[in-house]
Amino acid sequence: MTLRGKAAIVSYGETPVTRARKDKGEPRLSYWEYFAWATSLALKKAGMTTKDLDGQGLAVMHPEVDHSLFLGVEVAEMLGVTSKWIITPSHGGASGCVGLAQAALAVSSGIVDRVLCVIGDAPMTYGDTMMLTEHRRDFEKPFGVMGPTSLFALVMRRHMEQYGTKVEHTGKIAVTQREHAVLNPDAVFKERFTMEDYLNSRMIAEPIRLLDTVMRVNGGSAFIVTKTEEAKRWTDKPVYLLGYGECNNYHHGSKALSDATLMGIGQASREALSMAGLEPRDMNFFQPYDDFTIAVLMQIEAAGFCEVGKGGKFIEETDLSYRGSIPLNTGGGQISAGQPGLAGGNLNLVEGVRQLRGEGEGRQIQGAKAGMVTGIGAVQYGRNVGYNSVAVLGSEL
Amino acid sequence: MSRFGVKEGGEARKPLPYITNYSQGFWEGTKAGELRIQKCNACSHKQWIPKAACEECGSIDLSWIKSGGKGKVYSYSIIRHVVMNSMAFEKEIPYALALIDLDDGVRVVGQVVECKPEDVKIGMEVEAFFEDIGGASIFKFRPRR
Repeated sequence: MTLRGKAAIVSYGETPVTRARKDKGEPRLSYWEYFAWATSLALKKAGMTTKDLDGQGLAVMHPEVDHSLFLGVEVAEMLGVTSKWIITPSHGGASGCVGLAQAALAVSSGIVDRVLCVIGDAPMTYGDTMMLTEHRRDFEKPFGVMGPTSLFALVMRRHMEQYGTKVEHTGKIAVTQREHAVLNPDAVFKERFTMEDYLNSRMIAEPIRLLDTVMRVNGGSAFIVTKTEEAKRWTDKPVYLLGYGECNNYHHGSKALSDATLMGIGQASREALSMAGLEPRDMNFFQPYDDFTIAVLMQIEAAGFCEVGKGGKFIEETDLSYRGSIPLNTGGGQISAGQPGLAGGNLNLVEGVRQLRGEGEGRQIQGAKAGMVTGIGAVQYGRNVGYNSVAVLGSEL
Repeated sequence: MSRFGVKEGGEARKPLPYITNYSQGFWEGTKAGELRIQKCNACSHKQWIPKAACEECGSIDLSWIKSGGKGKVYSYSIIRHVVMNSMAFEKEIPYALALIDLDDGVRVVGQVVECKPEDVKIGMEVEAFFEDIGGASIFKFRPRR
C-alpha cells in the first residue's frame, strides 16, 4: 500500500514564540496553553470547531519538558473532544513528520476522516527537560559529553576530516537561513550577519560555534490532516502527502564501529521520493530539521541533492535562498527562527505547507509545487541521529 | 544539593551514573582498573555501550571481557562551554572530548587528557586510564607513550 495522495494537510496554526523573559514582561505560559493556543489557530484557519474533532483522530506529540504520562487523553480532556483514535508520537524532532504519516495512515485506512496533530512546548518556563535516556545519564554525561552540541561537534569534525568539509560551508547555511529569518516576521533573530561574523562567533564545542546552534523558545504548533476526499471541504489550498519514508537506528558497516557521517535520512528520502514518483531535482524546496548547521549539510547529502561527502562543494556552488535552485529552510529554520522545544519538529514542516499554499509572503518561492521536509531526533551513542523521517509534500496530486 | 548538582556554598559534583543490573559488571571493572566491554556468548559480537541484548543477533546471553584499553581517535571536539547540568566540568574547560575506536572493535566516548586539547588529532593513538569521580570510576584517555 502507498500513502501517495491519500491525505492532505488542510490547515495549520503556529503561536508566536518567546524567550519568556520576565525582565521584558513576557508571560511564562505552560505547555498546556501552547497546546490549546496552537489548536485554536489551526481550527480557526480551517473554519472548524472542536465539534469537528469529535469521533476523529488526535495526534499529540510529546514536548521535551517534563509532562504528563497520559498526555494524549488529557489534551483531549482539555479540548473537550471525544477521540476515536489517539496517537502520541514521541520521536523527538521527528515527531512532526511521524505524526503526519501516522495521521495519513489513519485517514487512508478509514479509521477516521481527520486528525488534529498538535504540540506545545515551553522549555523557557520549565527549565528542566524529560529524563535523559539512560545511556546519556550513565555513559555520556559522567564522561564529559556536553549535550547534543558536543555530539554533533564529534560528527562534524569527522565529516570535515573524511570529506574535506569546511566551516565556511556550514557558515553559508547559517548566513542563508538568517537571511530568510529576516523575511519572517515570526522569527526570533532578525539581524543579518556575514560570513566573517559567523567565523568570529563564540566556539561552544569546536568546531561548532554559537551561530551553528539553536536558541530555545516557548511555542506551539498544530496542523490538521484529512482524507483527500474531504480536503477541499476545508480549504481551497490542500497540501498533499506525496511520499513518506522512515529509517531509524541506521547503521553503516559494523554495528559497533558505524560510519558516523551517514544517517537514515538516506534510506528514508529514497523511499519517500520513490513513493512520490519524484527525484531530488523535482523538489522546489528543502526544509530539513535543523538543530545544527552540520545536520543540514549531512541531510542535503543524504537526501540526494548531491553525493555523500560532496555537500560542502554543493553548498558553495548553489544558491540556497528562496530565489535559488534549492531553497533551504525558507523561514529561517530553528537556528534563526527559534526552537520551540520539540514543537521545533513542526516548524520546517509548517513552513513547507505555507510555501505550497503560496503564503510565504516576502520569502515566497515562485511556483512552488513540491518539496521535502524532514525530522530527526536523538543522537545514537558514537554514531549519528536515531529517528529519521522524510515527507514529500505537494500542492497537486 | 541543588538541581544542577551544586552543593550549597560548595563545589559542583560530577554527574554520577545509575548502576543497573546489566551495567554493574562494567562499573566493577573500572574500580578494578579494567575497561570491560560486552561480548555475546552466542555470536561473539563485541559491543559498547552495555545493553540487555546483543545488537548483532538479539541473544540475551552476554558476558564481560576486558578490553586492552588501547585505540585511535575517530573524532574529537574541544569543549569550551559547559551546559547548565554539568557545571562540575567548568574547571576542566577547555578539554578534548573524543570518540575512540578501541582495538577491540568498539567505539567509546571519553575525554583525552595529559596533552593540550589542540594537539588531539583524528587517528591519534590513545590508552585508557581510570579516575574516581566519587561513587564511581570513569575511563579517560591519554596519548599512548
